[in-house]
Amino acid sequence: MNKYTLKVDENSCWGCKSCEVACKQEHNTPNDVKFIYVSEDGPKYVNGKLDFTYRINMCKHCDDPPCASICPAEAIKKRDDGIVILNEDECNGCGSCIEVCPYNAISFDEEKGVARKCNLCYFRIDNGLYPACADNVCLAHCIYFGETDKIDQVIKEKPWLQRRVEQAMMERARQTKEED
Amino acid sequence: MLEFKYSNVEREIEVYGFDYAVKSHCRMCHGGCGVFVYVKDGKIAKIAGDPDCPINHGTLCSKGLASAQLVYHPDRLTYPVKRIGHKGSGKWERISWDEAIDAIAERILDYKDKYGAESIVFGYGTGRENEAVIYRIANLLGSPNVLTAGHFCYGPRISSSIITMGTNPIIEYEGFPKCIMMWGNNVTISNPDCYKGEPFSVALDAGAKLIVVDPRFTKPASRANIWLQLRPGTDPALAYGILNVIVNEGLYDKDFVENHVYGWEPFVKRVNEYTLERVEEITWVPKEKIREAARLFATSKPAVIQWGVAIEQQINCVDNDRLLMFIMGLTGNIDAEGGQVLYRTPPIVNVGQFGAHAMLPREQAQKRLGGDRFRLASRFAIITPKVVWDAILDEKPYPVKMLFFISSNPLMTRANAKEVYRALEKVDFMAVSDFFITPTAELADIVLPAATWLEMDYIGDFWKRHGYILPRRKVVQIGECLSDHEMLNRLGKKIGQEQFWWDTFEGGLDFILQPMGIKWNDFNQMDYVRGPVRHFKYRKYGFSTPTRKFELCSTILEKMGYDPLPQHREVPESPVSAPELYKEYPYILITGARQPGFFHTENRQLPWLRSLHRDPIVQIHPDAAANEGIKEGDWVVIESPRGKVRQRAQFFAGMDKRIVSAQHAWWFPEKKDPGHGWAESNINILTDNAYEGCDPTFGATNIRTLLCKIYPEKKEAAHE
Repeated sequence: MNKYTLKVDENSCWGCKSCEVACKQEHNTPNDVKFIYVSEDGPKYVNGKLDFTYRINMCKHCDDPPCASICPAEAIKKRDDGIVILNEDECNGCGSCIEVCPYNAISFDEEKGVARKCNLCYFRIDNGLYPACADNVCLAHCIYFGETDKIDQVIKEKPWLQRRVEQAMMERARQTKEED
Repeated sequence: MLEFKYSNVEREIEVYGFDYAVKSHCRMCHGGCGVFVYVKDGKIAKIAGDPDCPINHGTLCSKGLASAQLVYHPDRLTYPVKRIGHKGSGKWERISWDEAIDAIAERILDYKDKYGAESIVFGYGTGRENEAVIYRIANLLGSPNVLTAGHFCYGPRISSSIITMGTNPIIEYEGFPKCIMMWGNNVTISNPDCYKGEPFSVALDAGAKLIVVDPRFTKPASRANIWLQLRPGTDPALAYGILNVIVNEGLYDKDFVENHVYGWEPFVKRVNEYTLERVEEITWVPKEKIREAARLFATSKPAVIQWGVAIEQQINCVDNDRLLMFIMGLTGNIDAEGGQVLYRTPPIVNVGQFGAHAMLPREQAQKRLGGDRFRLASRFAIITPKVVWDAILDEKPYPVKMLFFISSNPLMTRANAKEVYRALEKVDFMAVSDFFITPTAELADIVLPAATWLEMDYIGDFWKRHGYILPRRKVVQIGECLSDHEMLNRLGKKIGQEQFWWDTFEGGLDFILQPMGIKWNDFNQMDYVRGPVRHFKYRKYGFSTPTRKFELCSTILEKMGYDPLPQHREVPESPVSAPELYKEYPYILITGARQPGFFHTENRQLPWLRSLHRDPIVQIHPDAAANEGIKEGDWVVIESPRGKVRQRAQFFAGMDKRIVSAQHAWWFPEKKDPGHGWAESNINILTDNAYEGCDPTFGATNIRTLLCKIYPEKKEAAHE
């Protein structure tokens, strides 16, 4: 069981792509190497109704990652906390992980000659910091990071929303006092 | 589990070895988001949102996050240059600031002497919060001609709200409106003045109902309770349809109407001219849907309208704004808690006072270009661009000899770009202040290196109507770049305005803050200041209009000789107004749908942002594409009677198949020739700026809706 999971509530995503740029700011990857990628699904008709959803593509940190199994250089390893790390220093650039990834979540960095993907900002996590894209960047607050077994519940409950509502009510109360 | 905390500044500094973080205030769009700027070895290392800022609550968009790429861009202009070849030759020579300022000052004094101050036109685009200094120098000089985006962006909202109710009503999202009507806007990826996407998104998640008015099925439309898919450019008719339901079903606020409006009876008469049957015919929106939306909006309390610029870049600009204000007002949402509040700024020297409008001599104000035709705009010191191009090209009613554009790229952003090019090519002298040598700057005589928001001290949001001001703090100095404020502070002293400027522009900041009894150094220690928030002020004081009422019939417009009530005008090129033209140009072209990451012409040279959008995109319905032989991803030609450009086709099923939607402001900084591809994909090659097509009171150019044809580029090649 994974300990940490990053999950995006796609229904809430507005497609602003701040997460892509937050990731770029952290990792400064070349143009065509994106660890996180927002794409449009629609507008299209679903059950006779128009639908438009943004899809967020990134490494899913699979339970049994095929990329790790196939890597001849053993450059991809799953940690105990569930994070699948592709070690660029050990990558031989063969590209077999790119072929085998079912989510199209690994890119080839032509400049470095290695495969690259989202390592869930493990350096940040190990130091008690949220992954760059999940660190309160998103205006929809739809990028969640936390303990794997609780994350779906957290997405459902949206604790940030309650905090924001409370905060606003306190501010209003302060203003009303001023107004009187 | 480790203890995680959002936006953990101390930990970021510790973990990454940053030297410190500066709390500041972004201005990659119209500004407003609080940020932390992390610095390491004297360089900006990271930018993140400030969780304590009440405007963005720590979130930050792609533009803000990529600001350091703007600051350190290798193509940035970092010293003043003068052109040494012919216009557009791309040949430049470095000069000193003193030389540059002296040369510009000399030209100004010379033209003023020979042709009058009105022959010198200052201009800005969406601005770098420099509007107050630009108006100041122009007014003190005696030039009534400041060419801004204000003729079709925000200027109309400010002016029309002032004549209707005294100031611009701003949504109080923190009061959690129960219903939001998003009209021609998508605040989640755009940047309408005074708004950020985050509070809208939160209000929606907190349970607000949503009505979206848009010809396109945007992401917000997909989350809407009701989507009103109107024919482009028919906003006033639709607004009248909604008002018709509100009036005739008695859904309006009775107390408000009885005690606080002016012109109710003529207004009702006009409303009744717009029957739902007629409105449906004009707008393509089924009358049942109009009724449903009107009822939902009018019965939800509080309810708000999230608007933006799209409704203003049309022939019906001011009337669109007014009609939406009427919906806000008649439903009792003006100045209501969680409605649209008439906020007050803190006591400061406001943007109008700082702009020294009172110092412009009356006889000079009367010379304002287009002032006799666009009288409402002229009253607010705003002009439409064509009057300037005409004055350069035809020297009528008098010659314009000099342009000084500060944060503006009119070749890309103003209608009828070919005419703009001819004017810029002909003008006697042009100075530009910008970050890069843009396609407009390539036609200048002198280009000055402008500082970004990370390179200046300033009072952020000083000009806005949400009531906040926030310190912007200088983090780095790049080359010889100067803020526009400091640059004009130097120039003003060289053209006889010594007594109105300061040793350095810090004196100007002190001047703005003077009424609060503090100086910049004090404000610099603060997080932000907000004016007092009060509701329903009109119940005590009335509205700040000539009648002290909320004016449905505008007494000011009436005095100026205009129809005091809003009306629906058909856009100049539509299937209805130009049926013959429609046969040859069989699609309705809409322009300017926003792209996250870009701010009009800006940011296409920043790799992190360009990686979001490589090419200019025109959206076409898949059925229409099939008819035209267009495949997804094809380069296609879009053509209007004014010209043609190329963009790449993207299929978009979320709009009527008679519509195509093209992006705006595309140039290609990566093309190193002096044109930088300005004419290749620039949609304003297609748009028109004829006076008859402009808003009759304000001169807003109708750039959002016109007619076009569209066909694959390879077909064109085969023809040639």
